[in-house]
Amino acid sequence: MSDTQIPADTGKHRRANIESHEATPVAPPPSVTRRLVTNLVPPILAGILVILAYAWVRSGLPPHRQFLMPSGTGIWELAFGIPDFVLELLRRSVTTMAIAVTGLGLSISFGCVMGIVMFRFLFLEKAIFPYLVVLQSVPVLAIVPLIQSALGFGFMPKVLIVALFTFFAVPTTLLLGLKSVDRNILNLFKLQNASWWVTLRKACLPFAGPTLFAGFSISGSLAVIAAITSELFFLSGEGGLGQLLMNAKIDFKYEQMYAALIMASVLSIAVYLFFKWLGNRLFSHWHEASGKQQ
Amino acid sequence: MSADSTSTTAPEGRAAADGASLPGGNAIVFDHVSMTFPDGTEGLSDVNLAIAPGEFVSIVGPSGCGKSTLLKVASGLVTHTGGKVWVDRDQLGYTFQDATLLPWRKVQDNVELLMELRDFPAEERRRIAAEKIELVGLKGFENHYPQRLSGGMKMRVSLARSLALNPAVFMFDEPFGALDEITRERLNDEVIDLFVREGFTGIFVTHSIPEAVYMSSKVVVMSRRPGRIQDIFEVPFAYPRAPEMRYQADFSELCGEISLSLRKAIEG
Repeated sequence: MSDTQIPADTGKHRRANIESHEATPVAPPPSVTRRLVTNLVPPILAGILVILAYAWVRSGLPPHRQFLMPSGTGIWELAFGIPDFVLELLRRSVTTMAIAVTGLGLSISFGCVMGIVMFRFLFLEKAIFPYLVVLQSVPVLAIVPLIQSALGFGFMPKVLIVALFTFFAVPTTLLLGLKSVDRNILNLFKLQNASWWVTLRKACLPFAGPTLFAGFSISGSLAVIAAITSELFFLSGEGGLGQLLMNAKIDFKYEQMYAALIMASVLSIAVYLFFKWLGNRLFSHWHEASGKQQ
Repeated sequence: MSADSTSTTAPEGRAAADGASLPGGNAIVFDHVSMTFPDGTEGLSDVNLAIAPGEFVSIVGPSGCGKSTLLKVASGLVTHTGGKVWVDRDQLGYTFQDATLLPWRKVQDNVELLMELRDFPAEERRRIAAEKIELVGLKGFENHYPQRLSGGMKMRVSLARSLALNPAVFMFDEPFGALDEITRERLNDEVIDLFVREGFTGIFVTHSIPEAVYMSSKVVVMSRRPGRIQDIFEVPFAYPRAPEMRYQADFSELCGEISLSLRKAIEG
C-alpha cells in the first residue's frame, strides 16, 4: 500500500474514504466432509427436534392413551424387530407399489397423450381443460363407493383410484411446457417448413421435459398415498400397507400401524426421488434448475 | 434503383437460385406491400423496395415501425395483406433477436438442426457443420452446450446454423442488440467477412445508425407506424470494410444525414 499514490484530498472526498482496505484471501473450496456437514447437520438437527417434541407430547399423555404414540423401543420390539413382521411389511409394500405404479403408469401414458392432443387442437384444449379441473376438484374418496359398485373389489378399482389422484398434474404440466417454447424457435422450424410432428419431436417435447418431470414428481409422490387410501376401502383380497393399517387398528397393534406409516412415507419419498433423479439425469446438462438439489 | 450498385456489392455476389424469375433480376422485391394485423393496426403501408443480389441493405426506423414485420413478411413468417413480395424462400437464412439455440443440443447439433429439417444425409451434415463452425471461429467448442457460451458465441452458432444451408438471402432481425459494443463490432466485421466470402444478399434490421452504415451498401429509413420507406441512402464505401472507417469524416457525415432523416421519421 505504501508505494501507491493516494490522491490529494480535494475536499470532495471525506478522509475516511481514502483508507486502505485489506484484501481477503480466496477461501479454499469446502472439503467433502465440510459439505456433508453443511448438508446433513440441519436435517439431522431438525429430526432430533421432532423426536424430542414427539417424546414430550407423549409424556404429557395420560397412561391409558399412550398407545396412540408408541415409543421407539416399542416400535422396534413389536414391529421392526420381528423378522416375520418385516417380511409381511415388505410383501405388503410390493402389493401397494404394484397398485401405485400401475395407476401412475396409466396416468402418465393417458396424461401425455391428452397433453399432446390438447396442444395440437385448441378446441380440444378448450373442451377438455375445464373438465380436468372439475375432475381434480371431485373428492375422489367420495366416489369410491361408486367405483366399488361398478368395478368390484379387485386390483383394477384401486388402480383407477390411483389414476384419478395422479392424473391432473401430467397433462397440465405437459401442456404448460409445450406451450412455453420460445416463439422464435417455432419460427425457425416454420421457416424450414417443418411439419407439426417434427416440430413437436425436435423442439416442443424436449423443451417441455423438465416441466413434465416436475409433474411426474408431484404425481409420483401422490401415487403411494392414493394406493394406501384406496386399500382402506377394499379390505378383501391380498392387501397392502393400507390393509395393514386397518388390521393394526382392529388388533390394537399401534406399533405395527406406525411401522406401516413409516414404510408408506419411505415408498412415497422413494418414488419422488426416483423422478427427481431421472429428471436430473436427463436434463441437468442443459436445464439449470434440474441440476440443483431439490 | 439497384442497377448502379455494382461498385458497392460484394465481389462474389450471386443471384438467387432462380433469380431470373424475379422482376428486374432482383433478389427481393416489395411491391406496394401492406400489412394489417388482425386487430386492425396497420404494420406496413405501401412499402416499395427492390434489393439486388449481392446487396447488403440495412433497415433503420423508429421503434415499432414495422422493421421486423418487413422481414417476417419477406420470409413468409407472417402473410402480408396487400401488394406483392418476390423472394426465393428456398435458400433463406434468418437470425432472430436472440440466438434461438436449442439448449439441449451441443453446438455441433445446433448447427446441424436446419440441415436435419431439410433431410441432409448425416455425413454431409457433419461435414458442413464442422466447416461453418470453423468459419465463425468456434472450432473446439463443438461439444459445448449453449448455456456455457457467451452471448456473442451463441450468436456465432446461430449464424453458422443459417450459413449451413448456404443461403442466397440472409435476413438479420436486430441480431446484436443485446450484445456489448466490442462484441457487437467484432460480429459486424464477421458478418461482413461472411457476406464477402459467401456472397449472399443481406437485409439487416438494426437500431444503430453507425452499425447500419458500417455494414451496408444501402441504408433504408422507415417512417413511424404504419411503416413505409421514407429515405434510401447509398453507402459509397467498398467492401471489405476496416474498423477505422467508423472514425472517418465521410462516415460520420453519412451517419448524420441518416440520423436527421430518422429524426424526421419519428416526428412524422
